[in-house]
This record gives sequence, structure tokens and C-alpha cells, in this order.
Amino acid sequence: MNSVCIFGIGSPSGDDQAGWLTIDALRAVGVQCDAGILIEKLDRPGAGLIPLLDNAAWVILVDAMQGSGPAGGIQRFDQKDWPRYTKGLSTHGFGVLDALSLARELRSLPSRLDLYGIGIGSVLPGDEAGLEVHAAAQRVAAMIASSLKG
Amino acid sequence: MTEQKRSVAIHVPVLARVEGEGALDLRIDDGAITQLRLRIFEPPRFFEKFLEGRHYTEIPDMVARICGICPVAYQVTAAQALEKLFGVELSPWAHDMRRVFYCGEWIQSHSLHIHLLAAPDFFGCSSAIELAKIAPQEVRRGLRIQALGNELMDLFGARSVHPVGVRIGGFHGAPSLDRVREIREKLRAALPEAEALIRWVAGIAVPQDEQAFVSVAMQHPTGYAIETGGIAASDGLLIGAEAFDTHFAEHHEPHSTALFSHYHGQPYLVGPLARLNLNHARLPERVKTLLAETGVVLPSRNLFHSLVARAVEILLALHEALRLLDAYHVPDSPWVPVTPRAGVATGCTEAPRGLLWHRYEMDAEGRVLNARIVPPTSQNQARIEEDLRLSLQNFGLDQPDDALRLHCEKVIRNYDPCISCATHFLRMNVDRG
Repeated sequence: MNSVCIFGIGSPSGDDQAGWLTIDALRAVGVQCDAGILIEKLDRPGAGLIPLLDNAAWVILVDAMQGSGPAGGIQRFDQKDWPRYTKGLSTHGFGVLDALSLARELRSLPSRLDLYGIGIGSVLPGDEAGLEVHAAAQRVAAMIASSLKG
Repeated sequence: MTEQKRSVAIHVPVLARVEGEGALDLRIDDGAITQLRLRIFEPPRFFEKFLEGRHYTEIPDMVARICGICPVAYQVTAAQALEKLFGVELSPWAHDMRRVFYCGEWIQSHSLHIHLLAAPDFFGCSSAIELAKIAPQEVRRGLRIQALGNELMDLFGARSVHPVGVRIGGFHGAPSLDRVREIREKLRAALPEAEALIRWVAGIAVPQDEQAFVSVAMQHPTGYAIETGGIAASDGLLIGAEAFDTHFAEHHEPHSTALFSHYHGQPYLVGPLARLNLNHARLPERVKTLLAETGVVLPSRNLFHSLVARAVEILLALHEALRLLDAYHVPDSPWVPVTPRAGVATGCTEAPRGLLWHRYEMDAEGRVLNARIVPPTSQNQARIEEDLRLSLQNFGLDQPDDALRLHCEKVIRNYDPCISCATHFLRMNVDRG
């Protein structure tokens, strides 16, 4: 078991790479996989996220967030807020909060879970992420690196 | 005393939680259905037009984008159609591994549908999250099986969502023996779980809803058809993919942007139950034995047996993947060279949701002149409407609105439809006449 798992969630579509960019930024500041830390990019895991939560005491998730806020905005999600953001289940729409809600019912949540959302704009396949999202990923990476130092 | 027949208008303006967009209109006047329309109003995606002018080397990765759940079906169907036109003879290794790759997709897609979409209906739950409160071990097992399917897709496709492993002539790469050994052990360990899944699903009480319909699925002389075989129907038809248009016709209905399909002028069923109805004799013996224990008599006329059919196909896919991977070796080359030629390519495979048919007209440089893709959901669309009509009558049109709505949801979800490759729950408003 790893003591900390850090997952950046995304897809190769413009700003939806926010989670992946955060992992790149973490690696750039020296946070790497070692005996106690697993750091990984995930491509739209859906319900596949749940088994990954079994392997850690502390999980940090970073995902793109589409809402009314500006691209590059950062938000932390507390468990009590999940229902407000969960749109529900479907084959294609099984998002991170759906997976976490199901994991909670299955008692698969780690004892500590930090969930970061990065506000995004365009998500065209094959596009680069915008500058605001790159900058936000750097900021989230700094926040995570700081939290790891305790 | 004269019984007062009620009138009800049920409009489901949006089939909620869908990638695609659809709706259901149901009107009951004086105790009879006067309108029943599964409306698909999502704008057309023009995928076939996007393919025009594209080189054959780009096609597998492009068509994989049509569906996030069944990309392998689109890739393999396109590849095999073009390989047939180009006169490419795949190596036995590539043949076998295409089937293994496809098994991964069946495992993940079926497990997802059973546990996250369909099963909650039969336990009075609105979602898998609610189902997990009362059947946590079963949901956990379902997620493990689904993850294993994804892993199998990742093994050959480099990723499970929109994989990129297939090329015309075979695969871009071959997994190492170490990775295959590792996944073989997982497949073996999953067999008892899949057997338990069949027993669990068979124990779920489903409506007794017998209907007459034609089943259409691929058939292969020696095995359970997945990626190879001819197109068969329960009335005895057996044709090659090139003859599809002779027997099946698509047409446009004003209330849907997805084309309807008819077989000799009538709706027909594609998907797991149609496959099982036509091909149950070709299941491995162990799977046959378990199927017999369920008490489901085949061919089945009850669409709600689709749940059992999916569970049976998961076990079949595990057995098939293991059988083929037990003989795995790393080939000298995972692909053979290809020389394009002009002409018309047709091909079909069994996507998790049913028969998937492709047709490409190619030029001598190997570029697409035009393309046609007939997915399973559009083929099932007419059947879903027919099923809703018959099933509601069996259920009782005098049932309360909420019960009617839930029954409609069950019927539609049972087909695991992809509207633009999606499935959905119904959000509806009831307007009593």
C-alpha cells in the first residue's frame, strides 16, 4: 500500500488536460513515485477509479471542472458538497464525483481525500491546454507539494 | 357499471444523463396507446462525412472516437472490412488477439450495464449508489470484472478509452509475455466471480413479458460469434456482410435523427439476447451448464432476459480470452504489410450492444470516398418502440403514472442503448389528459 496516491485525471482534449498538467508540474518540482507515493495520470477512469482508492490511506485527486467560473479557477471539494455537483449515472457520464459517491457507499474511500478542481474553457480534442489552465496546474501542484511536506 | 378508461399524456422531454439526446412521448386515450415515440433529437454527428478523404491508416483511430464504451467494435469492424477489400491475410496471432481485445470490451461494457445501469431498476433503486447500499459485495464484484475488461482493452490498445492499438493488417504492437502472464492469472481468478454473477443475475426477479420478435446476430460455424461470422436471423437467414442491404433497410422517421432499421419490413432485435438466442449451442460446455441452471429457456422471447445474456457473455468472454492467451507468444511482427486497392469494403462484428455494420468505398490510394456505419442502437430503435407498446400493454395501462414511467425506463435501459452511443435514465413530466 502507498501512503499517498496522487491522481491527475484528464483526456487529450484542450483544457481537460488540467489534471495531467498538475502531475507534470508536481514531477517538475521533484515529487516522484517512491516507496510511499504513487503519482499517476488517469485517462477518464469512470468507475475504474474506485479500485485505485483501495490502495492508499491518503488520495489526492485533480480534475478539470466545467462551470460558470473562469478558466484557471481552483476549487477544493469537500465530501458534503458532492451531491450538489453529481449529475448522476450514465454509461458515459460516470464522472469523478459519481465514482467517489459510489466508493463512499462501498466504504472504499481513503481516510483522507483531497479533491481539487481546475476551471476549464475549451476542450477540443488534440488542442493544447490554455495558459490559464497551465498556470492553475502549477499553483495546484505547489499546494499539493506543500501539503505533502505536512 | 361502466369502467372509466383514463387518458394520460406522458412526455419525457429529455432522456437524462445521456451523451446522446432523446425523449419519450407516450399518450394513452381511453385506455389505448395512441402515441408512442422514442424521439432522438440529438443533432447528427456526421461521422461518416468526417471519414471522407481520410487515408485508410487513419480510420481505426477515427472510428474509435464514435463510442467511449465500445471503441474496439468500431475499430475492428472497420479494420476487417478494409482488410477484406485489400486482400490482407492476418496472421493467426492477430486473428486471435483481435478476439481477445474484443472480449475485453464485452466484459467491461456488459459489467458496467448490469451493475451501474440495469440492476438498480430491479431492486427499486434509482442508481448504483443506492444499489450499493443493499448489494455492496455484488457491486464491488461488478466493478472488479469491469476493471478487468478495461485492463484487457488496455493490453492491446494502450488505453481502454479510445484505444489506439489496432492498425490495418494487425496491431501496432504486441504485449510482453510478462504482461500476458499477469492478466491470465487475473482472468482465471475472475471465472468464479463471473459464475457467481450469472447466479445472482438469474435470481433477480424480472417481469414475465413474452413477445414475438426476430433475433439478428452474427453466426460462426464453430464458435460463439464475436468478431467473425455471417449475419443470421432467427427465421433462418444467413448472409455475408456484403448482402446486408438486400435484407435490411434504414429509413428516416420525423421524430428521430437516428435512422430506423427494418429487416424485411419489420423491427428486429440485435444484442446479447439475440446472440444468445441464435448461438447458445456454441457456448463452451461450462457456460452451457451454468446457463441451464438459470432456468432460462432459449430461444427466449422475454427481453428482460438480456440481463442474464450479458452475464453469460461475460463468462464466455473470460473463457475465450483465457483460451487464446494460454497459447500466447510474442510474434515476429504484430502486423502484416498492406497495399490499398479501390473498391467497396463491407464488414460487421458484434458490438456489446449488437450487430455493427460498416461499408466503405475506397479509391486506389486507400482514401475513403464514402462511408456508411449502421450501429446497433439504430437497429434496435424500432424494436424498442414495439417493445414499449407491447410491454406497457402487458404491464397494464391503468397503472399509476410513476409505475408506467419506471416501466418505460426499464424497457429502454434493458437494450443498453447508445444514443450517439449513450444510455440514459428518463426524466419526465406527466401531463394528465
